[in-house]
Amino acid sequence: MTALGEFALWIALPVSFWGMTMGFVGGRQGRGDLVLSAERSVHIVFALLVVASLGIINAFLTDQFQYWYVANYSNRQLDVFFKISGLWAGQRGSLVFWAVLLALFSSVCVFLNRRRNREFMPYVVGILQGILGFFIVVLLFADVNPFEQLGFVPPDGAGLNPQLQNYWMTIHPPVLYLGFTAFSIPFAFAMSALLSGRTDSRWIVLTRRWTLLSWFFLSNGIIFGMRWAYEELGWGGYWFWDPVENASLLPWLTATAFLHSIMIQENRGMLKIWNMSLVLLTFLLTIFATFLTRSGLIESVHTFAENTRIAMIFLAFMGSIFVASVVLIVYRLPVLKAENQIQSFLSREAAFLLNNLILLGAAFAVLWGTIFPLISEGFTGTQIAVGPPFFNRVNIPIGLVLLALTGIGPVIAWRRATRRNLKRNFAIPVLVGLAVAAFLFGVGARDGYALITFGLSSFVLTIILVEFWKGTRARARIEGEGVLPAFLHLISRNRRRWGGYIVHVGVVLIFTAFAGRAFEVKLTDTLEPGDTVSVASPFGHDYTLTYQGISSAREANFDRWVALMSVDRNGEPVGSLSTEFRWYPSRQMSTKEVGVRSTLLEDLYVILAEAEDFEGIVANDPGAQRIIVEVQVNPLVGWIWYGGVILTIGALIGLWPAAEVRKRPTSQSAGDSEKPAAVGAVSA
Amino acid sequence: MKNGRFYVGLVGVGLVVAYLVWTGVSDSMVYYLTPTELVAKVAEDPAFHSVGVKVSGRVVSGTYSRGERELEHRFEVHDLEHAEVAFPATYEGVLPDTFTDEIEVVLEGQFGEDGVFRAHTLLTKCGSRYEASPEELMGSEVSA
Amino acid sequence: MVIAGALLLVGITVFLILQPVISGEEAPLWSAKDDPTDAQFRKRVSLLQLRDAEYEYAMGKLGEEDYETLRKEISAEALAAIRAEEAESSGTEPRFEGPTDADLEDEIAKVRSRLTGGAFCSQCGHPNPSGSRFCGDCGAALS
Repeated sequence: MTALGEFALWIALPVSFWGMTMGFVGGRQGRGDLVLSAERSVHIVFALLVVASLGIINAFLTDQFQYWYVANYSNRQLDVFFKISGLWAGQRGSLVFWAVLLALFSSVCVFLNRRRNREFMPYVVGILQGILGFFIVVLLFADVNPFEQLGFVPPDGAGLNPQLQNYWMTIHPPVLYLGFTAFSIPFAFAMSALLSGRTDSRWIVLTRRWTLLSWFFLSNGIIFGMRWAYEELGWGGYWFWDPVENASLLPWLTATAFLHSIMIQENRGMLKIWNMSLVLLTFLLTIFATFLTRSGLIESVHTFAENTRIAMIFLAFMGSIFVASVVLIVYRLPVLKAENQIQSFLSREAAFLLNNLILLGAAFAVLWGTIFPLISEGFTGTQIAVGPPFFNRVNIPIGLVLLALTGIGPVIAWRRATRRNLKRNFAIPVLVGLAVAAFLFGVGARDGYALITFGLSSFVLTIILVEFWKGTRARARIEGEGVLPAFLHLISRNRRRWGGYIVHVGVVLIFTAFAGRAFEVKLTDTLEPGDTVSVASPFGHDYTLTYQGISSAREANFDRWVALMSVDRNGEPVGSLSTEFRWYPSRQMSTKEVGVRSTLLEDLYVILAEAEDFEGIVANDPGAQRIIVEVQVNPLVGWIWYGGVILTIGALIGLWPAAEVRKRPTSQSAGDSEKPAAVGAVSA
Repeated sequence: MKNGRFYVGLVGVGLVVAYLVWTGVSDSMVYYLTPTELVAKVAEDPAFHSVGVKVSGRVVSGTYSRGERELEHRFEVHDLEHAEVAFPATYEGVLPDTFTDEIEVVLEGQFGEDGVFRAHTLLTKCGSRYEASPEELMGSEVSA
Repeated sequence: MVIAGALLLVGITVFLILQPVISGEEAPLWSAKDDPTDAQFRKRVSLLQLRDAEYEYAMGKLGEEDYETLRKEISAEALAAIRAEEAESSGTEPRFEGPTDADLEDEIAKVRSRLTGGAFCSQCGHPNPSGSRFCGDCGAALS
């Protein structure tokens, strides 16, 4: 089975290149037979990559440690769940996984367009197969073959890094990869629009749902990663501005910009070149992120590039994609002219444009900070690094402006808005925002950025609420409906807009949670059984923890030491909390499993930093119970996860096909086919 | 209205971002050195002892010990390529889970006159690559 | 076993990708009629913008004056798109003679009522928005 998987990977290589060539040649010469062959090759490559993935999973499940990859990421005791997820636990497997996801999306895309949008498809197939072919080349020729054998059979594998043995870590990479790979489809359509010469808005309409899908996965992937860091890394933070994290944020920023500028092109026929460039940039950043997270370039430059060959192949690929796309855009410049001009600074398109510029500015700043050590080494010979203070300093002001725009955008009219109307629409939300900020200042909050964030968040939430209320009322009046049906129809008739507002609510909650970090409380203390430690929450109450004692136990895969504490809130007992230290002998590694007590407003977060005498605890020595704990109160941290859920709901509303499209009429007459279906398609 | 005014806006936003990046970089940049480079810099210019730097190196096996104070850790760090270049380091705080012998660490702090590096932050190189050498695999025991 | 599987994989692959080239079976290179053209797309966008403007006016986000100018502007765009679409389907050049405001309103109202499932009055033929119970022109009851 595993050998067959390796073989399938080898056949996939020529098939993908066949598909690429036949797609381009068939499209160029108008040969339907070649195009059919190319389209079939997409489904075949998908099937072959599934066989390859199953081969790897099979090797994990049957403990075939003669494979380098399995030996490094598994051992006999590993849970079946983690054996299956071994497919994407390491660099080699995750490249296969990346390829299989791209092949899946390509296959779905070809299937959905088997009768529609035919003039795009030959080139779309050619481009997608080209990208796939590239990844297969990397897998087979860049020393990252997951099927590489050691030449001997080790008695057991090295086991999976205990930090990766966490639910969030299992789900975080696949979701992120879904986001990265889904964006290849908009890129392929954009380039095929340029190649085929059909440069009107059609490609934008065809790809906006793919873009939203990709954005949805990227957002969730990033949030899952934060959740993992918060639970597993054991210091109470969720974002480090680590190169790997930054790499996943970059395409998210540019994809967010693209989602907004799509609307300008649709509605006003402007920003065509800009949109092409954004698609290209986002696609390159998804490749860059895959490359950065899985090649170790930034981490290892300081020593020696561990695997220079993969770096060279990736850079060559990104370089040639960039050059080819820019040449194509320049070649088509004459047909990419804007149909309209921006009429006023006070218009929704101007607000969107500003949003785009700011998002790109943020992306540039993050990229700059991430590769700054490389740049400075190039110029001065010494690496100079910038840390989290840099990223916070640049991105907090940028984030605040974006937050403000989130509120301004929905209210300001297309084309041009008049000051009088703006005053009328903004008066109440601005007052609410100011009142919230003033109230928080009154009760003792003193952090400037946090106060601005809370004020702006309330401003935006008020605007969105008023928008929903006014929209419902207007619909109820115009259509003569009851309030609830009017509300539901309002959303279902323009899912993208109202789904988008719901996404904004989620984003606002997440921003609020970030600002909450300004009020975190932490302290460390040494405890003997019976000792108490008190910590005051910024919300006014306090917690008292009483240390009950620590005990040890042996599990299949690790040894654990569990410290138990009882928790009182304002003197009332509210339960108990355990915080844990684990030792994995097979990896010679330890992890700290933090104890968390979550409420709507804050998390009580307890880390077992150290125990005086681990052997003494195992031996039940009563004098060896002394531990050091770090106790934190993390205000509003949960709002990131709640915000993520709301964002997901909003994105799903936007993604859901409009009812009219789902039951598209099959009648042939041209007049009939533009019944409600037409409106549905535009608002979808 | 001409689109010209929007180019002005575009340039304006660009300038603001550039300003933020520029001041951000000059306020938070630190030298990022290998132990070898750090030792050389200090020999060249003793004033470098008081400059905050970032150093990436590897924890020397068997050198870890607890300091006298609560949560104080002592260990030695050597260069990734030139293992003979090494110096002691201290760090106060909760150690990351990945901290073990021979782990690659990034320390930020000052290299004191007494030759001890006092780190105020400690990061371990974590993430995507956790791999064992063939020798380690050969020696691994079946513990089931 | 593995060899048999490998041969099977190669066989299926080669057959599937070469069969169209040999037999001449073709994938369509042009789409069926139901792909909207650029003119149709612009028509839809304009009509949607018109609906949005109406809502924003009803929600009190647009003043009356702003709404009127905006509506004229969008209507002109919608009409241009409708003409272009007609020209596309009949294969002639689009008509460029400037329509009167009344023509324009009528034409757009007609298209819109078709889109939103509105009804034409059985007495006078006036197009009415969906949900109307009486004709807006002659007052006759609509079924």
